[in-house]
Amino acid sequence: MMRRTLYAWYRSALPPFVAVLLFLTLWESAVRLFGIEAWILPSPSVIALEASRNAESLWGHTLSTLQLTLIGFAIGSTFGLLIACVLHLVPLLKSALYPLLILSQNVPTIALAPLLMIWFGFGLLPKIIVITLVCFFPVAVSTMDGLTQTDRTMLNYMRMIGAGKLQIFRKLQLPHALPSVFSGLRIAATYSVMGAVIAEWIGAQKGIGYYMILQKSAFRTDRIFAAIIIVVALSLLLFVLVTLIEKLVIRGGQRSRHAEGEERR
Amino acid sequence: MNDSVKLELSDLHKSFGHKRNPLPVIGGVSLQVRQGEFVSLIGPSGSGKSTLFHLIGGLLTPDSGEIRLDGRKINGERGHIGYMPQQPALFPWRTIEENVLLDREVNGVSRRESLEEARRWMKRAGLEGFEQAYPHTLSGGMQQRASFVRALLSPHELMCLDEPFSALDAFTRSEMQAWLLDIWEETRRSVLFVTHHIEEALLLSDTIYVLSNRPSQVLRRIEVPFPRPRREEIIETPEFLALRRELTGWMKEEQRKSVTQA
Repeated sequence: MMRRTLYAWYRSALPPFVAVLLFLTLWESAVRLFGIEAWILPSPSVIALEASRNAESLWGHTLSTLQLTLIGFAIGSTFGLLIACVLHLVPLLKSALYPLLILSQNVPTIALAPLLMIWFGFGLLPKIIVITLVCFFPVAVSTMDGLTQTDRTMLNYMRMIGAGKLQIFRKLQLPHALPSVFSGLRIAATYSVMGAVIAEWIGAQKGIGYYMILQKSAFRTDRIFAAIIIVVALSLLLFVLVTLIEKLVIRGGQRSRHAEGEERR
Repeated sequence: MNDSVKLELSDLHKSFGHKRNPLPVIGGVSLQVRQGEFVSLIGPSGSGKSTLFHLIGGLLTPDSGEIRLDGRKINGERGHIGYMPQQPALFPWRTIEENVLLDREVNGVSRRESLEEARRWMKRAGLEGFEQAYPHTLSGGMQQRASFVRALLSPHELMCLDEPFSALDAFTRSEMQAWLLDIWEETRRSVLFVTHHIEEALLLSDTIYVLSNRPSQVLRRIEVPFPRPRREEIIETPEFLALRRELTGWMKEEQRKSVTQA
């Protein structure tokens, strides 16, 4: 069993790994062959060398961005979850606010960020607000979807035995919606890293976003590439973290059913 | 069995749709379930059996007529019955044990008080060793037995069983009938059982009500004469076969009417 899963993992991981390796080789040789200048496109080896030379500074910025991301993600997701539950329990509120919620997503966060800086200064608060804004929407929408898609036969059963609205919500609808909630959380996790970088672009004294702006004005393309790789790694890290928590939280047949659903998609 | 009436429906009417163009579904149903009696409702499909259950469960309110439980009118009131639906409707994120305790939990009975009794009934239902398993790992028959134990543990005396075996294969079904007969004769709960399986109704019930097509009314009331405890073997006896033939005749006639109507 163990050996088989290991083998399956190896089978699925090998092709993309080879593809990436090929791509890097192509990149490296193209840069060398055509003598492309480092400030336009540095080769992978140059980027790796610069990243390791600059590791200490990069690590500090990474930690700062990670901290900001986690705080924003936690606040934004909690907020999204709460809004979804309240709107679900109060249908009048949902019909009043749901269209506004959708509408609000057409306002680009990047456009809002400078405004938030003007209102709240350059501290932590406006940055957390930016991340909260990008996080809360996917969580709220997928949670609401999950809450309305409760299994009819289970719902009918709960009503027949006389369960009240709150009991139905707590014992049936909320646990039934968990797979959807986690779909939303996974999207929010990657969005939150993006939100943090954007917030740091606009005004910060540390963090990967700030580092990128700094290197841009110095035309240090190699360092910008290193920063991009770190952003990707952070997104992946959060994605994996959410998936691990999901594995712990979702129990029983719901897990396998959910996994089937994912595969079908 | 004593003679006090557990559940009484008198002249129940229910229509759906618009006021101007109503679709009558229940057209004056009256019936009784006595304390400790097993009562079956059989009727052609679409005869409003589910609607009748929703009325008793309080999900719907009748247009006219009364639903009385222990003599008290409960029109539109929820939370007075134990229920076993057609599909097991076990919650996939709960273990079998947690599922079985759900009715009690909803009715505010603590887990500590219930666990011992739940374990005992799970054992009787052949679910021993599966207490901590999740529903999707069990066979259809086992899931239905868990669903039955859940209804059995309900603090409400009256149990409503809505075609509980209709989704099972023939062999599992007859096994479940024998099992249910056995357990019911031990507990003697008041049961209202919906089915369209004539043999099943005859084997299990004290009284059978035959319902008509929509708008449904009671066509016939039959007291099943076989003594208890019953064994499955009675289905071979001439009396049983005669009753079955009679019931089948009525059902066929009713089904034919519905076809000519359509």
